[in-house]
Amino acid sequence: MHDRPPVLEVLDLRTAFPTARGMLQAVDGVSFRLEQGRTLAIVGESGSGKSVLSRSILGLLPRNAETGPEGRVVLNGNDLTRLPERSMRKLRGRQAAIVFQDPMTSLNPTMTIGSQIVEVLIFHMGMTKATARCRAIELLATVGMPQPATRVDQYPHQLSGGMRQRVAIAIAIACEPSLLIADEPTTALDVTVQAEILDLLQRQVRERQMSMILITHDMGIVAARADEVAVMYAGRIVERAPVRDLFHQTRMPYTSALLASIPQIDGGRRGRLEAIGGRPPDLVDPPSGCSFRPRCRFASDKCDMTAPPLAGTGQHHFACWHPL
Amino acid sequence: MRYLLGRVQRLLIVLLVVTFSTFLLVSVLPGDVAYQIGGMDASEAEIAEIREELGLNQPVVLRYLEWLTRLAQGDWGRSLLTGESVWSMIIERVPISLELMLLAQVMALAIAVPAGILSAWRPNGWADRFITSLGFACVSMPGFMTAILLIYFFSLHLGWLPATGYEPLSAGLWANLKPMILPALSLALVEWTVLMRTLRAEMITTLQENYISLARAKGMSTTRVLLAHALRPSSFSLVTILGLQVARLLGGAIILEQIYGIPGIGRLLIHAVYTRDLIVIQGCVTFFALTYVIVNFLVDLAYAWLDPRVREARAHG
Amino acid sequence: MVDLASLRPVEGRASAAPSDRHARAIAEHRRSRGLGVVFWLSASWLTLVIVVAAFAPLLGLVAPDESDWMALKAPIGSENHILGTDPLGRDVLSRVIYGARVSLTVGFTAPAIGVGIGLVLGLAAGYYRGWVDEIIGIAIDSWLAIPGLVILLLFSVLYGGSLFMVCLSLGLLFIPSAARITRAATLTCTGREYVIAARALGASDLRIITREVFPNIIWPLLAFVMIDIPIAIVVEGSLSFLGLSVQAPTPSWGGMISEGREYLEASPHLSLVPTAVMFLTVLSFNLAGDAMRKRVSGGRSGAI
Repeated sequence: MHDRPPVLEVLDLRTAFPTARGMLQAVDGVSFRLEQGRTLAIVGESGSGKSVLSRSILGLLPRNAETGPEGRVVLNGNDLTRLPERSMRKLRGRQAAIVFQDPMTSLNPTMTIGSQIVEVLIFHMGMTKATARCRAIELLATVGMPQPATRVDQYPHQLSGGMRQRVAIAIAIACEPSLLIADEPTTALDVTVQAEILDLLQRQVRERQMSMILITHDMGIVAARADEVAVMYAGRIVERAPVRDLFHQTRMPYTSALLASIPQIDGGRRGRLEAIGGRPPDLVDPPSGCSFRPRCRFASDKCDMTAPPLAGTGQHHFACWHPL
Repeated sequence: MRYLLGRVQRLLIVLLVVTFSTFLLVSVLPGDVAYQIGGMDASEAEIAEIREELGLNQPVVLRYLEWLTRLAQGDWGRSLLTGESVWSMIIERVPISLELMLLAQVMALAIAVPAGILSAWRPNGWADRFITSLGFACVSMPGFMTAILLIYFFSLHLGWLPATGYEPLSAGLWANLKPMILPALSLALVEWTVLMRTLRAEMITTLQENYISLARAKGMSTTRVLLAHALRPSSFSLVTILGLQVARLLGGAIILEQIYGIPGIGRLLIHAVYTRDLIVIQGCVTFFALTYVIVNFLVDLAYAWLDPRVREARAHG
Repeated sequence: MVDLASLRPVEGRASAAPSDRHARAIAEHRRSRGLGVVFWLSASWLTLVIVVAAFAPLLGLVAPDESDWMALKAPIGSENHILGTDPLGRDVLSRVIYGARVSLTVGFTAPAIGVGIGLVLGLAAGYYRGWVDEIIGIAIDSWLAIPGLVILLLFSVLYGGSLFMVCLSLGLLFIPSAARITRAATLTCTGREYVIAARALGASDLRIITREVFPNIIWPLLAFVMIDIPIAIVVEGSLSFLGLSVQAPTPSWGGMISEGREYLEASPHLSLVPTAVMFLTVLSFNLAGDAMRKRVSGGRSGAI
């Protein structure tokens, strides 16, 4: 199975935040591996911990966050959890880059888009200002920005949301990182430009042989754009499989509920995970046993007693006592 | 553009209200100006003559309008004491006060900006605690108190800097600056705290923005994130406060000029207060109000420079 | 593919560690909500100053204007004069204590006057909006266009320096900020359902203001008074430093600091003792006020 070396290997990652009521366990023991050139989609409702997971990988957590001591994030052979901040900085943006959800707030309003690309090139690639500027214009052209030579001197507020996300992608791919994390890259965008942005990401990843973690709450966009899918619930991965397997042999009741929320071809409704009854569990005071139990139709006493481990055969893993 | 015009309109109204009120205060005074000029032993007839001469018998509004017209022509009246033109008295002293205030503001910013950034970087960290405590101590010390302590240490104990005095710029730059250092520092030590707290509060908010996360995700160093990415979008309130502080600074300068014997506009005002020279007082107040209005207008312009979004909106609006 | 996640002990969550951390996080929060040592130190100092000033005549001190011609400019620690004497042989301790009476009177009265008037103006502006708001807004802007000290100087020329006039004119300086805060609070609260409901039920303006609006704005305003007190003390100090507050022989801190200035070299205690006392008092008011505000607003500080 391990024909290619993993670009990223995450082992038992845990992240918690102190709150007034106690520790909020946002990421609760997540493990996965990602091989070169592959795209892993991480799917879950808002609050399932998927964004915290992406920030934990890059070490971009707020200072009050607590990470579990046994967690490991191995990127290209380097254990990021052991790395001092200085070396970590050299990795960020160089080996692993991130595209955030909301392009309206993820670009600095007081800097031109050009200078926001240029600073990465200068810092990581050691370019001079002039070469970096030329490269920035090239990158803008690559991500489909019209008139890149004039746009390079514009401020973010002069661009549309879709264009800003293209800039964010240009920043992310500037140093040709081996890992790209796209954290709900299209959620904040108009429906009409969502597909364009996803196509752009997919094309860039393929051309540059990058690995991508695509974080989304929308099962609908997963099918055509990912190789593997990991479903997250309450800070844990509850089912993980290659895309085909997940769609054809869904095992976890939660995944099946997610799939049911994909919009039908005839009804134009945008599928939202809120379609599932009930609410996600309280992560400060989680339910005993399986965290999905309170919302699950198949729940039994066993689900109440102990949490099911993530287990399974071949590449298909799931955490459920009563798989479908 | 419309926004800016609205602001100008408002500021002009404020200017009219202020000048009219001070005019009113001075004219309805218990001790009439005429008595002051004529002296205690002036006869009724002499007083009446002076009143007629000064136009004191006309209605207040008319006199105000006349005064305003003369004001616009540069005739700010004459000192009751020396007969000197008030306008030339003020304009002579303005550069001195301005130098003091600018120097103080530069010193205050030089302390406040690094302190604010350091505080905001790790709120509640040791640096923040130290800076915040220092700030509390400094705001609890009025300028005259700081001045006494600075004089005590730097002039009397160490003998490094003169305790009082003023040298014109013609005496050389260092000779001019030397006696200004302590007064400006006294002023700055009071003012920096407000600047620091303002910057700190806004910077803490900025540092939670997504674009700061992205800057960190790009591998930028802490220094670069703080200085290149966070400082500018965090400076809006600071600029406002700088403008609002001019009034405070003027107030603080008055006392410090008195303590350090600097012949600025504050000293002029206090002298006029001690000698009840009402025309000079009126002139000073008018001048302060004018300064306030102009500075506030400049603050509005500074916004446009700081935030490209506002620049855009104003250019189109 | 070996799945490391599946090897993780299932009952991990039931172990003792998380609940331990849970308790620690809650304890942490409780601690940050307490008033803290600094607050109690400040409060103790303030209590001492207030009590001593209030009962000054009962303390058996030398009268503040009584000269001991045998001990002129006595240093700190002299016999009969713990904090020394001034050039006229007057007891510094007694003068500092009597001076506290002036500072505290102004410190408490002036903000009360300012907040009282500001409250009425702010309520009117926020409740009636329109031209009332506009006129009050212009008046406040105009008031702010002149440095506070200049206004005070003007008043002292026109009406002289009695304790009453100092309190009154200083009080006027607090109107703008109090009016602005009241206006903002009134604006938010007149938009709420219960005020709209009261209006729909035909309640009179006065009734709505006193019953519905007032209780909601009084707390932010009181928090503000806590900031105004030290400011009032500082400004009174500046005025009396210039000799434009209460007139001699009534002692005041600012006046004492000013008088001692000439003897800074030989008898620094003349200026430094009142400086220290005034500094500690103002600092204590600032710190105590900040601690209280932090508690009310749930841990946020830094308001000016």
